[in-house]
Amino acid sequence: MNTPLRAVHYLNQFFAGIGGEEQADVGVSVRDGAVGPGRALQTALGDAGVIVATLVCGDNFMSERPEEALRTIVGEMGRLAPDVVVAGPAFGSGRYGLACAEVCRAAREQGIPAVTAMHAENPGATSFRREVVIVPTGDSALSMAPALANLARFALQLGRGEELGPAELAGYLPQGRRRVHDRGRPGYERALDMLLAKLHGRPFVTEIPYNAPEQVRPAPPVADLARARIAMVTTGGLVRKGNPERQSAANAMRYHRHSVASLESLSPEDWEAFHAGYFNHIVNRNPNYILPLSFLRELEGQGRIGRVHTEIYALPGVSTPVAASRELGRAIAQDLKNAGVDGALLVAT
Amino acid sequence: MISAIYNFALTTGANRVIRGGRIEHVCGDPALGPEKDYAYGMRIVTTALEALGTPVTRPTLFDPLAPGPAREAVHAS
Repeated sequence: MNTPLRAVHYLNQFFAGIGGEEQADVGVSVRDGAVGPGRALQTALGDAGVIVATLVCGDNFMSERPEEALRTIVGEMGRLAPDVVVAGPAFGSGRYGLACAEVCRAAREQGIPAVTAMHAENPGATSFRREVVIVPTGDSALSMAPALANLARFALQLGRGEELGPAELAGYLPQGRRRVHDRGRPGYERALDMLLAKLHGRPFVTEIPYNAPEQVRPAPPVADLARARIAMVTTGGLVRKGNPERQSAANAMRYHRHSVASLESLSPEDWEAFHAGYFNHIVNRNPNYILPLSFLRELEGQGRIGRVHTEIYALPGVSTPVAASRELGRAIAQDLKNAGVDGALLVAT
Repeated sequence: MISAIYNFALTTGANRVIRGGRIEHVCGDPALGPEKDYAYGMRIVTTALEALGTPVTRPTLFDPLAPGPAREAVHAS
């Protein structure tokens, strides 16, 4: 029998038994052994692994002072030298899910394998599923038992340094990686088998899952355009001439905000497009094609709209994964909302 | 959302979609010459503003080139 793997478990203040929302500001603390759901996790690990310590942090503390919290946690990981870190499960809890994912990422950066569990739509999962091994759970602690069993299974595999199989077979959230491997039979045979199964109404598993786009609830109409503040957003990769902000030409991971408060129009002397997904030369002669400032200024002058918002938003809309795009869009929308914008024109190339 | 590939926009969750020119010149068309180009761009932008003021219940196309002032919204199937 091999020596049991050393596991460190991460919990928030609630699952560690410190308290609910009123205790969410507590900082990082360390307990010996297993605590709360960690006890059942220990049972699931059996003789193969031992929870040597439990790290606990309040959800607010982690979300408001992540650097400080993670510095302490990484220090403790160094001291405890675990073979694997297990965080959660966090189920549908957003702050806790993000905390679990951050802890796992920090562990991985220290060379320690890590796994967490949460609902697939937890922000922790949507933001970190590419970097962190995340086991899907239900959205509440009702699914605690299967979640812990899965966590134990993955903890042992990862702690032993075993390679995980493909996400859809091993049962963790897909990380968007493609690995070359031999499925044993050529693609045309597998495709025909799938087609036959489909025609006969038999179940089959696609090799290329399709994510149906989400339905978005339409915003109510702008009540009075003549009083409305209108903003402009472009995915056409608009940059200041020479791209001083070093925007990428594709796979945007951030957006750029520029002031147009003093401008009547976008001049090709000062603005251009930097976007790998279309020929930029026409926009470089007239940047208003992807950000219609000249038109909105005229309409503002005529009183047909209230005001042109002072800030514009730009990024190159090409190759960015949907999850990252969603986060960028959400951040831009929040910024517009905070600034009291009533409506926005998004120009997509 | 103003887009030349408006079918794409309609099927990916955008609710107010305005048909733009082409990918390389969404808000206008340099081939029309300066005056008509500007008029076309203005037509696209005013259509977009009309769209902002119009209630919709699902992805809806607003076409600046459709005739008449009262444009009928075309729904994505």
